[in-house]
Order: sequence, then structure tokens, then C-alpha cells
Amino acid sequence: MSHSSLHVVSRVAAALLGGYAFTWGFTTLGIVLAMAAGAAYGAAQTSVYLLAFLVFLPAFLWAFAARSAGRVWLVLAGGGALMTGLAALFG
Amino acid sequence: MFASFRQSMAWLHTWFGLVLGFVLMVAFFFGALSVFDREIDRWAIPETRFEPQPMPSFDRVLRPVFERIEPREEELAAARERVGGPLEKNLPLMNWSAYTTHRDPVLTMYAEFAVTNNPDDPADHAHGWVTIDPRNGQVLPDDQLKIGSEFFYPLHYSLHLHWKDLGYWIVGLAALVMLAALVSGVLIHRKLFRELFTFRPWKAVRRGTLDLHNLTGVVALPFHFVFAFTGLVIFASIYLPVGETQLRDRAHAFYEQEAAAKGLAYTPSGQPAPLASVDAMVVEAKRRWATRGMPGEVGWLTVTHVGDSNSYVSIYRAGSDRVALVGQAVHFSGTSGAVIHEEPPPNTASSISEFLTGLHLQHFEHWLLRWFYVFGGLAGCVCIATGFIFFIEKRRRQDASLGSFGLRIVDAFAITTVTGIVVAASSLLLVNRLLPEHLPQRASWEEGAFWCAWLLTFMHAASRSAAHAPTSASRAWREQCAAIAVLAPAAVLANWITTGDHLLATLGRGYWPVAGLDLALLVAGAIAATAAMHLSRRARAAERSANFGTPVAAAEAERA
Repeated sequence: MSHSSLHVVSRVAAALLGGYAFTWGFTTLGIVLAMAAGAAYGAAQTSVYLLAFLVFLPAFLWAFAARSAGRVWLVLAGGGALMTGLAALFG
Repeated sequence: MFASFRQSMAWLHTWFGLVLGFVLMVAFFFGALSVFDREIDRWAIPETRFEPQPMPSFDRVLRPVFERIEPREEELAAARERVGGPLEKNLPLMNWSAYTTHRDPVLTMYAEFAVTNNPDDPADHAHGWVTIDPRNGQVLPDDQLKIGSEFFYPLHYSLHLHWKDLGYWIVGLAALVMLAALVSGVLIHRKLFRELFTFRPWKAVRRGTLDLHNLTGVVALPFHFVFAFTGLVIFASIYLPVGETQLRDRAHAFYEQEAAAKGLAYTPSGQPAPLASVDAMVVEAKRRWATRGMPGEVGWLTVTHVGDSNSYVSIYRAGSDRVALVGQAVHFSGTSGAVIHEEPPPNTASSISEFLTGLHLQHFEHWLLRWFYVFGGLAGCVCIATGFIFFIEKRRRQDASLGSFGLRIVDAFAITTVTGIVVAASSLLLVNRLLPEHLPQRASWEEGAFWCAWLLTFMHAASRSAAHAPTSASRAWREQCAAIAVLAPAAVLANWITTGDHLLATLGRGYWPVAGLDLALLVAGAIAATAAMHLSRRARAAERSANFGTPVAAAEAERA
């Protein structure tokens, strides 16, 4: 595989998998935080679902716009894992 | 990887738009048809061509039918597979439900049966359902395909790929890509506002195509954005199933608590008890809606824990007069008929969510808006199709090795998803009218005809694009347009011959479900015929000037 096609694969994977991980983390942590602030699970989930894809979209776009692919992976996959972990910790 | 921000957005727009564009064509085209799914059902099943009916009497009409519903054989087979062995002999009945809208003459009724011996899922269940004529409770034969509501509609969001919900995931990814394509499409244009008012069909194909792409993309941008976005929100619990995984304990605690707070039993008691008059409950529910200033009809009716002392009846109001879906439920005790709980107005988050979901699913009664939805969906199709054509034309001219395999595949897929889709859909309608009425497994034959026709359009497009000259568009475009020009009016003719409902008759008595689809088919046929003639005129001109040998001459001929 050539140098540039490896880059393409990495960006696409970061946008899709990293973006998904980030969105998952946002969703779980968002629900847990909303519940900590007094919301019921149902209302918390409904609100966070409305925002989740509006988070995924810029994450997806940024994965291609960003200069460094490493940073994309770090922020999206790393941030996603961190948020998911925090949600599990508090949940 | 990219030299500039604009370049990265252009790359994303081009490649994701291309690959997921084929899926988006399916979602937009069949989504546009689904706006009139109930009406397409009427066209496809002539014995159901009568006026929409309100929810009939439960006690007199629905109850005797519900009591006869059995789990479906295919549902039992699937349950046996999940359990990994035989099931209990008579599965215990759990719930009944019936759902109707202001556009449904027939009523579909559902029953749920407990699958008691699945160790992995204690809540496992199997379904049974029937369709009735609500005027007399007669059960209608169900081996006919409801082409609109059971075929086109689910095709639009699931691609009929049910293994591991794969189709939902593919369409969900396509919806995300649609959002990304809209944003990146705006970002890569420097002079968006000026380009919005630019349409130069008289210029070369590529320029005219791009203008049309920008025009349909930008003018209908809010429509496209809202539909792709709300589509994702509707299936959010499939795409982000946090309540069934990481947050399962919190979610289930909430649902149980909610049911308890409303006084609705989460589980049956095990004590048998008879069901009180549901008609009386319907009267009370309607009285309560009227006192809240929203008189209405029943849209959805459920009986939970049927035959148990914990049974309850939930009556939901049809949302024909508002954007948000069915709601304002009143819950009754199944044994005493007393009101247990009346749902309060939804909280802010739920109101927004219901509004957005309702905006996509449009259960409200507004025929003009319904047509706007169709045109919005078709504008999306034009936007995607012109994107394909621009992609192909640009590379065809740039690249000397034009027979390149990749480009031919793209060409074949584009033809299959643009004209092929219409060929397949019109073939399905035509076959629906030509198959013998009482053919066993009629629905499977109809579905088979659709997939075969679609596969044929792909094989046709693939064989033509292998052969065609690199300087002009594939002949498959005009040949498939010609096929549509024959198939679509043929379906109208077949409807006339087999049912006697010709346009003058249906228009005369104002029966729009059939008249509307007939007219749409005729318009589609006329557009396809015009396109086919235009394309062959241009191909002849290109051929003539190719004999003179200069591409400039070809371009001149094209313009003339």
C-alpha cells in the first residue's frame, strides 16, 4: 500500500470509528451528567440523542480538515474512550 | 494529507458523496415514494380501494379478530432459532395492538406472544398479525404485497437487509454523509450566493450538470438537512444503543419506575381476569381529549398483559392535526375500565424530539405539504444524480485511459441507481397488475420481480459502459429511459385493464390514491421519453461530428 493510500485509510477510519467512539462517549457521559443534574433517564437520553449527531458531524468533518492525523486519532478515539470511561465510572 | 482546508472538504464531498450516494439515491427516491405509501398500497391491492376508516368498535369488531390471531410461522421459526430448540406448545398471549391513520382504509392488527424458554432473553416474544376490513371485521388475504408501506417504505430506511440491522447502519452512515456533503458542499463554494442563481443548461453538459447540482443542493438544503438529521434521530436508539448496553441498569430502572409511577403494571400478575368494555374506555378517552381542547380520533390502541388481572388498555390520539406523532395517551385498567393515568403534556426535550420525528414521518393531514415532501425528495435525487454525472463527465474528459475499470463501475452504479431504480419500481407495479390474483406467495413473486428488474438494469449498464465510446455518455442511460417510457404507462394501462379504474373514472369520482399514482406514472414516462429522445439526438450529433474528427465540432453540435 502506498504512503498516501495508507493516509487515506487512516483518515477515513479516524472519521468513522473515531467519530463514532467520540459520539458514544458524548452520549453516555452526557446522559450521566444530565442525570447528576437531576434529569430523569428518559429526558436525558432524548436530549442527548438530539445533540449526538450534531456532535458526530463536525467530528467527522474535522477528521479530514485537521493537519495531523495523529491528533485526530488522539482527540476522537482518545476523547471518546475518556468520556466513555468517565460515564462508566460515575454510572 | 491535503494542501488546504477547501481541498480536504472537496475530497470528502467527492468520495463519500460518490460511494454513499448510491445508498442515498435509494433512501431519497423510496423515501419520496413513501410519502404516499398508503396510496400506493391501494393501487397495488384493488380490493382495498375504499375510503379511509376510523378505528372500529373494539368490543364488536376487533376483539373477536384479536382472539383468533396466531403467531406467524416465520416468527415461530425465528424464535426456535433464537432458543436453539423447540418452543412451548401454545405460546402465552402478551399484548394486542391496532394502529391506523387518516389515510388507512384497512386496519392491521398485531398480537405478541411470549417465548418462555429463551435463557438469553426472558422478554423474548413472537408476533402475529392480520389485516382486516374495518367496516365488517373481515380478515383480508395477506399474501399480497403492500408495495408502499411494506416494501418501498422499509426499503428507504433498511434496504431490506435485516441481518444484524445491517441495512439500518448503512442508511444511517449515508445520512451522516449526506449531512457532511451538505456542509462540505457549501464550504467548497466561494461564491455560493451567485452560484445559487446560476443555471446554464445551454452550456456544455458538465457546466449545466454542476449548476443543477448546486441549485438542487442549495435551494433544498434545509429540507435535505432536516430529513437526513431527523432520520438519524428516529433510529438513534439503534445507532447508539446505550440504554441496552452501557447504561442498561439506569434505563431499565427508569422504565420500571415510570410504569410504576403511572400505575401501569410492568409484568403480569399471573391471575386470569376478564377484559372490560374497551369501547367505553374509547368514549372516555375522546371525552378527555375534547376537554383539553383537542378532540380527535383513536390512532393507536394497545392492550397489555391480555387476560391478566394486571392488564391495562392504552388509547393514543391520532396526530392528523399536528406535526408531533400519536400521543395524549389515556391508560385504563383492563379489568375495571377505570382511568389509571392520563399522560401529561411532554417535557421540552420530548416535545422537540416528537416534533422532529413527526416532521420526518408526517402523519398530519396536509396534502399540499405532502407533495412538497415528494418534490423535496426528488430534488435530493436530482442533486445526487447530477453529482454522479459530474463526477463521470469530469473524469471522462480528463483521463486518456477512459476505459478505466473504476470509472466503468461508477458509471454502471450511477445508471443502476438513477434510471435503474425507476425501471425496477415501475416493473414491480406492472408485475403486480399482471400476476394471477390468487397466485400462492404472490408477495414473494412481486418482490422477486423488483430485485430481478433492478439486477438486470445493473447488468445492462455494466455491459453498455464496457462498450461505449469514451467521448460520450453510456447508451445505457437512454436505453433505460426508453424502458421507463414503456414500463410506466404500461403499468397504468394494466391497472385499467385489470381493475377498470382508468384515469377518467378515478379522477371523475375524485379517488386520488389511484388517480395520483397513475398520473405520476404517466409524468415519469413522459419525462423519461423526453430524456431518451434528447440523449439519442445528442448521441447522433456527436457521432456525426466525430466523423469530422474534432471534439470542438462535437461540442458545437451539442450546443446547437
